[in-house]
Amino acid sequence: MAYSDKVVDHFNNPRNMGSFKKDEDGVGTGMVGAPECGDVMKLQIKVQNDTIVDAKFKTFGCGSAIASSSLATEWLKGKTIEEAQKIKNTDIVQELNLPPVKIHCSVLAEDAIKAALADYQKKADTK
Amino acid sequence: MDHHHTHSTNPRELQMARSMCWHCQSEVSGEYFCERCVKVQPVSKDLDYFTCMNLPRRLTIDLPQLEAKFYELSRAFHPDFYQNKSEAEQAISLNNAATLNTAYRTLRDPIQRAEYLLDLEAGAVKEIRTSPPADLFEEILELQDTLNEFRTADRTSAAGQELRAKLQAEQRILERRKQDMEQQLQQLFADWDALQDRSEATSQARSERDRLLKQMREILSNRTYVKNIVNDLVTTIG
Repeated sequence: MAYSDKVVDHFNNPRNMGSFKKDEDGVGTGMVGAPECGDVMKLQIKVQNDTIVDAKFKTFGCGSAIASSSLATEWLKGKTIEEAQKIKNTDIVQELNLPPVKIHCSVLAEDAIKAALADYQKKADTK
Repeated sequence: MDHHHTHSTNPRELQMARSMCWHCQSEVSGEYFCERCVKVQPVSKDLDYFTCMNLPRRLTIDLPQLEAKFYELSRAFHPDFYQNKSEAEQAISLNNAATLNTAYRTLRDPIQRAEYLLDLEAGAVKEIRTSPPADLFEEILELQDTLNEFRTADRTSAAGQELRAKLQAEQRILERRKQDMEQQLQQLFADWDALQDRSEATSQARSERDRLLKQMREILSNRTYVKNIVNDLVTTIG
């Protein structure tokens, strides 16, 4: 199966790879996995004044999973929490031209975004 | 999956599974060949693999019996025997042979068998929510970093050697962990089968059923994560 140019580009030049310290102020961490294929994805956001100022990811999985999380971090930067909630896996599918067998990679990325946002919220609430 | 077709021992359900021979319209009830016109019948899409192989829906199965049934049906459906038959029969035999192969491969492997049974019992795998094993994920991602370091390192250097030794140690630990998980699964499989054999309809039995499904799902998932990283370790450090 051939990957789309955009997937290959994100795979070869992943944006925002890396991580923040979990307990750092304003950092939300989402950690998700796909039991069917064993992919693991960690996505982190750094929030200031309700806006995501930075995002990072680490993904262990296929090219589409890496591309999906790389794209997700690009999109997250500069968005407000509310805007970030609205990112859908179908947007990722469309942007990366993912074939049906790789749609679960985009679902994983959406789950990771949601988990990171929830973690940030939880941390903010308990402060 | 239509569950009405799966328990052929229940006469009421057998009734519902009845259908017609595509050729002579006489009644067939799950047989692979019509009793009247002897034409091959398509294996129903609703038929689960256990029923297809005439096995009880259990996690421990009689492997020689599975193999014998597979060979018996392989002979019955083999496309070679249908070369002089009608196009319809050729198509049916081909489809049946493909279904049969998938059924055999799925049931032969204990892990795939369990994944399949979980699908049957609990619907889509994803519907059983398990909490993601965050510790395991952290470990995997960290290990991936070390692996990347090793991939770019000069393998003959002292640092490269050191990385290799570290990764080899990790590999042994993870392989051990995978074995432990497989042992736990064995126990859960036995518990599941025992529960099925008792076939109680109490609320206690129901909650035991849910507990077993959830635990099996969890360990099967974690095993996949570990298996993947072990494979990566093996191919990278050789």
